[in-house]
Amino acid sequence: MDFRLLKVVYSIAWKDVVGDFRRRDTLSSMVFFSISVLVTFQIGFDPDRQLAVQLMPGLLWVTALFTSLVGLGRAFQDEEEDGGIETMILSPVPRGVLFLGKWLGNLFLTLVVNIILLILTMVLFNVDGWSHIFVIIAILALGTMGVTGLGVLLAALTQGTRSRETLLALLLLPLVVPLLIAGVQATAGALTGGDISPWIRLMVVFDVIYLTLAPWAFGWLVEE
Amino acid sequence: MKILEKICSPLGWLSLGLLGYGIWHVLNTPADFQQGNSVAILFVHVSAAKMALFFYLVLVAASIRYLWKKGDTADTIAEASVHVGAAFSVVTLATGSIWGKPMWGTWWAWDARLTSMLMLLIIYVGLIALRGALEDRQRGAKAAAIFALIGAVDLPLIHFSVVWWRTLHQPASLGNGAPKLVGPMLTTLAVMGVAFTVLGTYMLVLKTLEVREQRRLHDKEEEHFHNG
Repeated sequence: MDFRLLKVVYSIAWKDVVGDFRRRDTLSSMVFFSISVLVTFQIGFDPDRQLAVQLMPGLLWVTALFTSLVGLGRAFQDEEEDGGIETMILSPVPRGVLFLGKWLGNLFLTLVVNIILLILTMVLFNVDGWSHIFVIIAILALGTMGVTGLGVLLAALTQGTRSRETLLALLLLPLVVPLLIAGVQATAGALTGGDISPWIRLMVVFDVIYLTLAPWAFGWLVEE
Repeated sequence: MKILEKICSPLGWLSLGLLGYGIWHVLNTPADFQQGNSVAILFVHVSAAKMALFFYLVLVAASIRYLWKKGDTADTIAEASVHVGAAFSVVTLATGSIWGKPMWGTWWAWDARLTSMLMLLIIYVGLIALRGALEDRQRGAKAAAIFALIGAVDLPLIHFSVVWWRTLHQPASLGNGAPKLVGPMLTTLAVMGVAFTVLGTYMLVLKTLEVREQRRLHDKEEEHFHNG
């Protein structure tokens, strides 16, 4: 592995993350979007403590998924506005490396938001899962890796279309069904002390498949 | 393309004949001991489900061909197979629902196969929307081909995870364990299977020709527009 390529991945990711921290643009809209979804759920279901524990895994994952869509819709916004994508493609590095950079930046932002979301969910819905919090964060991370991996690819695929966010949701949601199922089941298992290993394995398989395929697919997509 | 024009209407008549023969078989198949006459709809349902999956294979083949060699024909067939596959998955879901009402007592159950079929339909619809949203035809073709291949990898994963979800999480839902088909039922199913395959091929040919004409019309309009 060439270390200069790793540096390219890191610089692209760093550019996106720092840029966003300075503008507080995507990050803050994702956080407040997820809070609004939580409020909507609370009003919609008004769960008592017992129901809240049952609902929490599904609530967490559905909110995390919708929140990722907010971030993914903006994944290539900077590049679109400044014509940066052409410049990036012109640079003498493999296209897959560019993809990994964009993915890593998006993954970092989404993961930060999802961890905030997890804490908010447990506080606002009175779910006592603090002793399992690191396991749940690990499960969230596995899910977020797959969702953003596919999502960044689909964001590139739908770049420059009308009503892009809707299209992105339509394309992404059916594809991440395996991650959603596994994530909800694993989180529920972690909270109640059930066996979570089959679900973890399913998520790892999903992530490995798509994070191997997506850089190639991105290369095909942007080639002239 | 020339050959498609030639075989189009013979295929149409052939599928009509075969469907008629198939329906005659269905009407003459004795009613099932448990299911009564509602078993008849399963002959349509099973054949349509096979076609919905089969056209995804056609789509994958055409998409690989397009990404590999480019060429308009492969892409035209890819676009056509999405529409035909979507039509068959709608038929599968609708007939499954109609059968489910008297048999399961409900129009819909989150059964593993039903859920996977619904996801297949959404992927087909996504492909249609993706092409519609991308103005540039080359870009649309490439994006649709890539998405079709992503979907091809995902469909087994979706099916597998839904089956797991249904079996590990809840007691196995209804309709598990394929019922045994005997004698006349098997013949009817085979005849319907052949009839639907021919019908599907006819629909694909027809849609391919239509897509080609649409593209030609679009090109002519563009040309006219640019020349004033």
